[in-house]
Amino acid sequence: MGVPYVPIIGLVGTDILKRRDDMVIAVDPFDGKTKSVVAKALRPDVAVFHAQMADRQGNVSCGYHAEVVMLAEASRHVIVTAERIVDRLTEKEATGAFIPSIHVDSVAHAPFGAHPAGCQGVYSPDKIHMRQYVIASQDDTSFSEYLRTYVHDVRDHDDYVERFVPLDWRQPAQAVVG
Amino acid sequence: MDYNEAELLAVLLSREVRDGEISACGALSQIPAAGLLLAQALHAPNAELIILNSVFNPFHTSKPFHFLAQRGELGLFFASGIQIDRHGNYNLHQLSPDREKPIARFPGGYGGGLIYYCARRTVVFRTEHTRRSLVEKVDYISAAGSSPPDVLRLGNPSKAITPKANFRFEKDEGLLRLDTIHPPWTLDDIQANTGFDLGLNGPVKATPAPTSEELHTLRQVIRRKMIDSGTYAEWARKSLAGV
Repeated sequence: MGVPYVPIIGLVGTDILKRRDDMVIAVDPFDGKTKSVVAKALRPDVAVFHAQMADRQGNVSCGYHAEVVMLAEASRHVIVTAERIVDRLTEKEATGAFIPSIHVDSVAHAPFGAHPAGCQGVYSPDKIHMRQYVIASQDDTSFSEYLRTYVHDVRDHDDYVERFVPLDWRQPAQAVVG
Repeated sequence: MDYNEAELLAVLLSREVRDGEISACGALSQIPAAGLLLAQALHAPNAELIILNSVFNPFHTSKPFHFLAQRGELGLFFASGIQIDRHGNYNLHQLSPDREKPIARFPGGYGGGLIYYCARRTVVFRTEHTRRSLVEKVDYISAAGSSPPDVLRLGNPSKAITPKANFRFEKDEGLLRLDTIHPPWTLDDIQANTGFDLGLNGPVKATPAPTSEELHTLRQVIRRKMIDSGTYAEWARKSLAGV
Protein backbone atom coordinates (compact mmCIF):
# COMPACT_ATOMS: atom_id res chain seq x y z
CA MET A 1 0.00 0.00 0.00
CA GLY A 2 2.91 2.31 0.67
CA VAL A 3 1.15 4.32 3.37
CA PRO A 4 2.83 5.09 6.73
CA TYR A 5 0.08 3.57 8.91
CA VAL A 6 -3.41 2.10 8.76
CA PRO A 7 -6.33 2.22 11.18
CA ILE A 8 -7.70 -1.15 12.27
CA ILE A 9 -10.83 -2.07 14.17
CA GLY A 10 -10.34 -4.03 17.37
CA LEU A 11 -7.50 -5.01 19.71
CA VAL A 12 -8.22 -2.23 22.23
CA GLY A 13 -8.21 -3.87 25.67
CA THR A 14 -6.14 -6.89 24.64
CA ASP A 15 -2.74 -7.89 26.01
CA ILE A 16 -1.45 -7.95 22.44
CA LEU A 17 -1.38 -4.16 22.41
CA LYS A 18 0.73 -4.03 25.57
CA ARG A 19 3.62 -5.68 23.78
CA ARG A 20 3.56 -3.71 20.56
CA ASP A 21 5.10 -0.31 20.12
CA ASP A 22 4.08 -0.25 16.45
CA MET A 23 0.38 -0.09 17.34
CA VAL A 24 -1.18 2.81 19.20
CA ILE A 25 -4.69 4.06 19.94
CA ALA A 26 -5.47 7.19 17.96
CA VAL A 27 -8.37 9.58 17.53
CA ASP A 28 -10.21 9.70 14.21
CA PRO A 29 -8.91 12.92 12.58
CA PHE A 30 -12.26 13.51 10.87
CA ASP A 31 -14.72 13.30 13.75
CA GLY A 32 -12.18 14.26 16.40
CA LYS A 33 -13.43 11.75 18.98
CA THR A 34 -13.74 8.09 17.93
CA LYS A 35 -10.70 6.04 18.87
CA SER A 36 -9.21 3.02 17.18
CA VAL A 37 -5.87 1.31 16.83
CA VAL A 38 -3.42 2.61 14.26
CA ALA A 39 -0.74 0.20 13.07
CA LYS A 40 2.59 1.38 11.72
CA ALA A 41 3.37 0.06 8.25
CA LEU A 42 5.70 -2.90 8.02
CA ARG A 43 8.59 -2.25 5.67
CA PRO A 44 10.84 -5.34 5.80
CA ASP A 45 14.39 -4.98 4.49
CA VAL A 46 14.38 -8.49 3.10
CA ALA A 47 11.62 -11.03 2.50
CA VAL A 48 12.49 -14.66 1.81
CA PHE A 49 9.79 -17.14 0.88
CA HIS A 50 9.23 -20.34 -1.00
CA ALA A 51 7.09 -20.69 -4.13
CA GLN A 52 5.90 -23.45 -6.42
CA MET A 53 7.34 -21.97 -9.58
CA ALA A 54 9.53 -19.13 -10.77
CA ASP A 55 11.16 -18.13 -14.04
CA ARG A 56 14.54 -16.76 -15.03
CA GLN A 57 13.28 -13.19 -15.00
CA GLY A 58 11.98 -13.45 -11.45
CA ASN A 59 8.28 -13.89 -12.14
CA VAL A 60 6.82 -16.07 -9.42
CA SER A 61 3.78 -18.32 -9.12
CA CYS A 62 2.82 -19.04 -5.55
CA GLY A 63 0.26 -21.67 -6.44
CA TYR A 64 -2.39 -20.16 -4.23
CA HIS A 65 -3.71 -16.69 -3.47
CA ALA A 66 -1.18 -15.97 -0.83
CA GLU A 67 -0.50 -13.05 1.44
CA VAL A 68 3.12 -13.30 0.24
CA VAL A 69 2.12 -10.99 -2.61
CA MET A 70 1.71 -8.17 -0.08
CA LEU A 71 4.94 -9.24 1.58
CA ALA A 72 6.79 -9.00 -1.73
CA GLU A 73 5.31 -5.57 -2.44
CA ALA A 74 6.19 -4.25 1.01
CA SER A 75 9.79 -5.49 1.23
CA ARG A 76 12.83 -3.65 -0.09
CA HIS A 77 14.48 -6.88 -1.24
CA VAL A 78 12.80 -10.14 -2.14
CA ILE A 79 14.47 -13.54 -2.39
CA VAL A 80 12.37 -16.43 -3.64
CA THR A 81 13.18 -20.12 -3.52
CA ALA A 82 11.12 -22.30 -5.84
CA GLU A 83 10.25 -25.94 -6.43
CA ARG A 84 10.61 -25.48 -10.18
CA ILE A 85 12.37 -22.99 -12.39
CA VAL A 86 10.82 -22.52 -15.82
CA ASP A 87 12.06 -20.52 -18.74
CA ARG A 88 9.17 -18.09 -18.93
CA LEU A 89 6.19 -17.66 -16.64
CA THR A 90 3.27 -15.40 -17.44
CA GLU A 91 0.41 -14.38 -15.22
CA LYS A 92 -1.89 -16.69 -17.19
CA GLU A 93 0.20 -19.73 -16.39
CA ALA A 94 0.44 -18.92 -12.73
CA THR A 95 -1.77 -21.09 -10.60
CA GLY A 96 -3.08 -18.77 -7.94
CA ALA A 97 -1.00 -15.78 -6.94
CA PHE A 98 1.38 -14.20 -9.41
CA ILE A 99 4.20 -11.92 -8.36
CA PRO A 100 5.72 -10.00 -11.26
CA SER A 101 9.49 -9.87 -11.45
CA ILE A 102 9.55 -6.15 -10.72
CA HIS A 103 9.21 -7.03 -7.00
CA VAL A 104 11.75 -9.85 -7.00
CA ASP A 105 15.54 -9.54 -6.61
CA SER A 106 16.69 -13.17 -6.68
CA VAL A 107 15.34 -16.60 -7.42
CA ALA A 108 16.93 -19.87 -6.35
CA HIS A 109 16.00 -23.40 -7.31
CA ALA A 110 15.34 -25.29 -4.08
CA PRO A 111 13.20 -28.41 -4.42
CA PHE A 112 11.57 -29.26 -1.07
CA GLY A 113 12.52 -25.81 0.13
CA ALA A 114 9.42 -25.67 2.32
CA HIS A 115 10.24 -28.90 4.18
CA PRO A 116 9.23 -29.79 6.89
CA ALA A 117 6.26 -27.55 6.13
CA GLY A 118 4.21 -28.27 3.01
CA CYS A 119 4.12 -26.69 -0.42
CA GLN A 120 0.52 -26.57 -1.60
CA GLY A 121 -0.17 -28.77 -4.58
CA VAL A 122 3.29 -30.31 -4.44
CA TYR A 123 3.68 -31.95 -1.03
CA SER A 124 2.02 -31.92 2.38
CA PRO A 125 3.74 -31.10 5.65
CA ASP A 126 6.08 -33.81 6.96
CA LYS A 127 4.02 -34.77 9.98
CA ILE A 128 6.68 -36.97 11.56
CA HIS A 129 9.28 -34.23 11.35
CA MET A 130 6.78 -31.64 12.59
CA ARG A 131 6.09 -33.76 15.65
CA GLN A 132 9.84 -33.94 16.36
CA TYR A 133 10.06 -30.19 15.97
CA VAL A 134 7.22 -29.58 18.43
CA ILE A 135 8.80 -31.91 20.99
CA ALA A 136 12.23 -30.35 20.46
CA SER A 137 10.93 -26.83 20.93
CA GLN A 138 9.73 -27.49 24.47
CA ASP A 139 13.05 -26.55 26.05
CA ASP A 140 16.25 -24.77 25.10
CA THR A 141 18.49 -27.83 25.27
CA SER A 142 16.44 -29.99 22.97
CA PHE A 143 15.85 -27.08 20.62
CA SER A 144 19.59 -26.38 20.35
CA GLU A 145 20.02 -30.05 19.53
CA TYR A 146 17.36 -29.75 16.83
CA LEU A 147 19.07 -26.71 15.33
CA ARG A 148 22.44 -28.46 15.39
CA THR A 149 21.08 -31.49 13.56
CA TYR A 150 18.86 -29.80 10.98
CA VAL A 151 20.49 -26.41 10.48
CA HIS A 152 24.05 -25.85 11.72
CA ASP A 153 25.50 -29.24 10.80
CA VAL A 154 23.92 -29.28 7.35
CA ARG A 155 26.36 -28.53 4.53
CA ASP A 156 23.86 -27.08 2.05
CA HIS A 157 20.33 -27.50 0.75
CA ASP A 158 21.15 -30.64 -1.26
CA ASP A 159 22.66 -32.20 1.84
CA TYR A 160 19.47 -31.34 3.78
CA VAL A 161 17.19 -32.87 1.14
CA GLU A 162 19.36 -35.98 0.88
CA ARG A 163 19.35 -36.55 4.62
CA PHE A 164 15.97 -35.32 5.84
CA VAL A 165 13.34 -35.30 3.07
CA PRO A 166 11.62 -38.69 2.92
CA LEU A 167 12.94 -40.74 0.00
CA ASP A 168 9.53 -41.46 -1.53
CA TRP A 169 8.83 -37.72 -1.81
CA ARG A 170 11.66 -36.95 -4.16
CA GLN A 171 10.14 -38.10 -7.43
CA PRO A 172 8.21 -35.06 -8.73
CA ALA A 173 10.49 -32.11 -8.02
CA GLN A 174 12.85 -31.41 -10.88
CA ALA A 175 13.95 -28.28 -12.58
CA VAL A 176 12.62 -27.81 -16.05
CA VAL A 177 15.47 -26.35 -18.01
CA GLY A 178 14.32 -24.64 -21.15
CA MET B 1 -29.51 -38.14 27.06
CA ASP B 2 -29.57 -39.60 23.60
CA TYR B 3 -27.05 -37.20 22.11
CA ASN B 4 -23.37 -36.59 22.68
CA GLU B 5 -21.68 -33.37 23.70
CA ALA B 6 -20.56 -32.44 20.20
CA GLU B 7 -24.11 -32.85 18.92
CA LEU B 8 -25.51 -30.81 21.79
CA LEU B 9 -23.07 -27.97 21.15
CA ALA B 10 -23.63 -28.05 17.38
CA VAL B 11 -27.40 -27.76 17.96
CA LEU B 12 -27.00 -24.94 20.50
CA LEU B 13 -24.69 -23.00 18.18
CA SER B 14 -27.03 -23.51 15.22
CA ARG B 15 -29.81 -21.75 17.14
CA GLU B 16 -27.70 -18.58 17.23
CA VAL B 17 -27.65 -18.29 13.43
CA ARG B 18 -30.17 -15.85 11.93
CA ASP B 19 -31.65 -16.21 8.48
CA GLY B 20 -30.33 -13.78 5.90
CA GLU B 21 -27.14 -12.94 7.76
CA ILE B 22 -23.57 -13.80 6.98
CA SER B 23 -22.27 -16.16 9.67
CA ALA B 24 -18.74 -17.49 9.98
CA CYS B 25 -16.32 -19.59 11.95
CA GLY B 26 -12.54 -19.80 11.90
CA ALA B 27 -10.00 -22.57 11.47
CA LEU B 28 -10.25 -25.79 13.52
CA SER B 29 -13.95 -25.20 14.16
CA GLN B 30 -15.67 -28.52 13.67
CA ILE B 31 -18.58 -27.88 16.01
CA PRO B 32 -19.42 -24.38 14.68
CA ALA B 33 -19.12 -25.70 11.13
CA ALA B 34 -21.73 -28.34 11.92
CA GLY B 35 -23.86 -25.73 13.69
CA LEU B 36 -23.75 -23.36 10.72
CA LEU B 37 -24.72 -26.06 8.25
CA LEU B 38 -27.48 -27.29 10.55
CA ALA B 39 -28.97 -23.82 10.85
CA GLN B 40 -28.95 -23.40 7.09
CA ALA B 41 -30.74 -26.73 6.69
CA LEU B 42 -33.38 -25.90 9.30
CA HIS B 43 -34.32 -22.32 10.09
CA ALA B 44 -31.86 -20.15 8.13
CA PRO B 45 -32.06 -21.19 4.46
CA ASN B 46 -30.86 -17.75 3.35
CA ALA B 47 -27.91 -17.57 5.73
CA GLU B 48 -24.58 -17.14 3.99
CA LEU B 49 -21.90 -19.28 5.59
CA ILE B 50 -18.17 -18.83 5.74
CA ILE B 51 -16.39 -21.89 7.07
CA LEU B 52 -12.66 -21.34 6.90
CA ASN B 53 -10.57 -24.09 5.28
CA SER B 54 -13.55 -25.68 3.58
CA VAL B 55 -15.50 -25.46 0.33
CA PHE B 56 -17.93 -23.21 2.23
CA ASN B 57 -15.64 -20.23 1.90
CA PRO B 58 -15.75 -17.76 -0.97
CA PHE B 59 -12.30 -16.38 -0.16
CA HIS B 60 -8.79 -17.69 -0.76
CA THR B 61 -7.07 -15.59 1.87
CA SER B 62 -7.98 -14.02 5.18
CA LYS B 63 -7.76 -10.48 3.82
CA PRO B 64 -11.16 -10.27 2.08
CA PHE B 65 -12.75 -11.98 5.07
CA HIS B 66 -11.30 -9.43 7.48
CA PHE B 67 -12.32 -6.57 5.22
CA LEU B 68 -15.88 -7.94 5.02
CA ALA B 69 -15.98 -8.01 8.81
CA GLN B 70 -14.55 -4.49 9.06
CA ARG B 71 -17.30 -3.24 6.76
CA GLY B 72 -19.81 -4.54 9.30
CA GLU B 73 -21.20 -7.21 7.00
CA LEU B 74 -20.55 -10.13 9.32
CA GLY B 75 -23.60 -10.93 11.44
CA LEU B 76 -22.29 -13.73 13.57
CA PHE B 77 -18.90 -15.21 14.37
CA PHE B 78 -18.14 -18.30 16.43
CA ALA B 79 -14.97 -18.05 18.48
CA SER B 80 -13.38 -20.27 21.07
CA GLY B 81 -10.81 -19.70 23.75
CA ILE B 82 -8.78 -21.85 26.08
CA GLN B 83 -10.07 -19.61 28.89
CA ILE B 84 -13.13 -17.35 29.05
CA ASP B 85 -13.69 -14.88 31.88
CA ARG B 86 -16.76 -13.18 33.34
CA HIS B 87 -15.99 -9.99 31.44
CA GLY B 88 -16.30 -11.82 28.13
CA ASN B 89 -12.57 -11.74 27.48
CA TYR B 90 -11.10 -14.87 25.96
CA ASN B 91 -7.59 -16.23 25.84
CA LEU B 92 -6.12 -18.02 22.86
CA HIS B 93 -2.49 -17.20 23.58
CA GLN B 94 -0.92 -18.68 26.69
CA LEU B 95 -1.51 -20.16 30.11
CA SER B 96 0.45 -19.01 33.11
CA PRO B 97 0.05 -16.86 36.18
CA ASP B 98 3.39 -15.32 35.20
CA ARG B 99 2.99 -13.75 31.80
CA GLU B 100 6.71 -13.95 31.03
CA LYS B 101 6.87 -17.68 31.74
CA PRO B 102 4.03 -19.40 29.89
CA ILE B 103 3.48 -23.04 30.76
CA ALA B 104 1.61 -23.57 27.51
CA ARG B 105 1.29 -21.50 24.38
CA PHE B 106 -1.50 -21.60 21.80
CA PRO B 107 -1.85 -20.28 18.26
CA GLY B 108 -3.07 -16.89 19.47
CA GLY B 109 -3.18 -14.53 16.59
CA TYR B 110 -4.76 -11.23 15.84
CA GLY B 111 -7.87 -12.40 14.04
CA GLY B 112 -10.02 -12.95 17.11
CA GLY B 113 -9.10 -9.60 18.64
CA LEU B 114 -10.25 -7.88 15.45
CA ILE B 115 -13.33 -9.94 14.62
CA TYR B 116 -14.62 -9.61 18.20
CA TYR B 117 -15.01 -5.88 17.47
CA CYS B 118 -16.39 -6.31 13.97
CA ALA B 119 -18.96 -9.13 13.88
CA ARG B 120 -22.29 -7.83 15.11
CA ARG B 121 -22.53 -10.82 17.44
CA THR B 122 -19.82 -13.21 18.53
CA VAL B 123 -20.68 -16.42 20.33
CA VAL B 124 -17.78 -17.80 22.31
CA PHE B 125 -17.96 -21.53 22.87
CA ARG B 126 -15.88 -23.92 24.92
CA THR B 127 -16.01 -27.71 24.90
CA GLU B 128 -15.00 -27.86 28.57
CA HIS B 129 -17.01 -26.32 31.40
CA THR B 130 -14.64 -26.30 34.38
CA ARG B 131 -13.05 -23.86 36.76
CA ARG B 132 -9.89 -23.86 34.69
CA SER B 133 -11.67 -22.87 31.47
CA LEU B 134 -14.26 -20.44 32.90
CA VAL B 135 -12.18 -18.15 35.07
CA GLU B 136 -12.48 -14.87 36.95
CA LYS B 137 -9.76 -13.33 34.80
CA VAL B 138 -8.04 -14.84 31.77
CA ASP B 139 -4.23 -15.18 31.92
CA TYR B 140 -3.93 -13.29 28.65
CA ILE B 141 -6.56 -11.19 26.86
CA SER B 142 -6.54 -12.21 23.20
CA ALA B 143 -9.91 -10.58 22.56
CA ALA B 144 -11.60 -8.03 24.80
CA GLY B 145 -15.29 -8.42 25.72
CA SER B 146 -15.82 -4.72 26.41
CA SER B 147 -14.32 -1.48 25.24
CA PRO B 148 -14.65 2.17 26.29
CA PRO B 149 -17.61 3.95 24.64
CA ASP B 150 -15.40 6.22 22.55
CA VAL B 151 -13.64 3.29 20.85
CA LEU B 152 -14.84 2.27 17.40
CA ARG B 153 -16.63 -1.04 17.77
CA LEU B 154 -19.21 -2.55 15.41
CA GLY B 155 -20.37 -5.50 17.47
CA ASN B 156 -20.10 -7.33 20.76
CA PRO B 157 -20.05 -10.75 22.35
CA SER B 158 -23.57 -12.11 22.63
CA LYS B 159 -23.21 -15.46 24.38
CA ALA B 160 -20.82 -18.00 25.81
CA ILE B 161 -21.88 -21.61 25.29
CA THR B 162 -20.47 -24.69 27.02
CA PRO B 163 -21.58 -28.32 27.32
CA LYS B 164 -23.34 -27.42 30.58
CA ALA B 165 -24.84 -23.96 30.16
CA ASN B 166 -25.47 -20.84 28.12
CA PHE B 167 -24.28 -17.47 29.36
CA ARG B 168 -25.56 -14.22 27.90
CA PHE B 169 -23.32 -11.19 27.65
CA GLU B 170 -24.84 -8.08 29.21
CA LYS B 171 -23.26 -5.31 27.21
CA ASP B 172 -24.13 -2.49 29.60
CA GLU B 173 -22.51 -4.26 32.53
CA GLY B 174 -19.77 -5.87 30.45
CA LEU B 175 -20.49 -9.18 32.19
CA LEU B 176 -21.45 -12.74 31.35
CA ARG B 177 -24.51 -13.92 33.26
CA LEU B 178 -25.82 -17.47 33.48
CA ASP B 179 -28.72 -17.71 31.05
CA THR B 180 -29.90 -21.31 30.80
CA ILE B 181 -28.68 -24.68 32.06
CA HIS B 182 -28.58 -27.73 29.79
CA PRO B 183 -30.45 -30.68 31.33
CA PRO B 184 -29.56 -32.81 33.21
CA TRP B 185 -27.12 -30.37 34.81
CA THR B 186 -28.23 -28.40 37.85
CA LEU B 187 -27.39 -25.00 39.26
CA ASP B 188 -25.14 -26.74 41.80
CA ASP B 189 -23.17 -28.35 38.94
CA ILE B 190 -22.74 -24.99 37.26
CA GLN B 191 -21.68 -23.27 40.47
CA ALA B 192 -19.21 -26.03 41.27
CA ASN B 193 -17.63 -25.88 37.82
CA THR B 194 -17.54 -22.17 37.07
CA GLY B 195 -14.64 -20.02 38.27
CA PHE B 196 -16.61 -16.78 38.39
CA ASP B 197 -19.76 -15.32 39.91
CA LEU B 198 -22.76 -16.42 37.85
CA GLY B 199 -24.51 -13.08 38.23
CA LEU B 200 -27.79 -14.68 39.23
CA ASN B 201 -30.74 -12.37 39.65
CA GLY B 202 -33.61 -14.82 39.54
CA PRO B 203 -34.42 -18.40 38.66
CA VAL B 204 -32.49 -19.91 35.75
CA LYS B 205 -34.38 -21.77 33.05
CA ALA B 206 -33.42 -25.04 31.45
CA THR B 207 -32.04 -24.93 27.92
CA PRO B 208 -34.53 -26.51 25.51
CA ALA B 209 -33.05 -29.91 24.70
CA PRO B 210 -32.12 -30.72 21.09
CA THR B 211 -35.26 -31.72 19.24
CA SER B 212 -35.58 -34.92 17.27
CA GLU B 213 -35.70 -32.81 14.09
CA GLU B 214 -32.43 -31.09 14.98
CA LEU B 215 -30.71 -34.34 15.87
CA HIS B 216 -32.08 -36.20 12.88
CA THR B 217 -30.96 -33.49 10.45
CA LEU B 218 -27.57 -33.25 12.11
CA ARG B 219 -26.94 -37.00 11.94
CA GLN B 220 -28.48 -37.74 8.57
CA VAL B 221 -28.06 -34.61 6.45
CA ILE B 222 -25.22 -32.57 7.95
CA ARG B 223 -22.96 -35.51 8.74
CA ARG B 224 -23.29 -36.69 5.13
CA LYS B 225 -22.73 -33.17 3.81
CA MET B 226 -19.56 -32.72 5.87
CA ILE B 227 -18.17 -36.09 4.82
CA ASP B 228 -18.97 -35.56 1.12
CA SER B 229 -17.58 -32.02 1.04
CA GLY B 230 -14.45 -32.86 3.03
CA THR B 231 -15.45 -30.46 5.81
CA TYR B 232 -13.97 -32.00 8.95
CA ALA B 233 -15.06 -35.30 7.41
CA GLU B 234 -13.35 -37.59 9.92
CA TRP B 235 -14.70 -35.62 12.84
CA ALA B 236 -18.23 -35.66 11.41
CA ARG B 237 -18.06 -39.40 10.79
CA LYS B 238 -17.15 -40.07 14.42
CA SER B 239 -18.92 -37.31 16.32
CA LEU B 240 -22.26 -36.85 14.61
CA ALA B 241 -23.34 -40.43 14.99
CA GLY B 242 -25.27 -40.37 18.23
CA VAL B 243 -24.16 -41.80 21.56
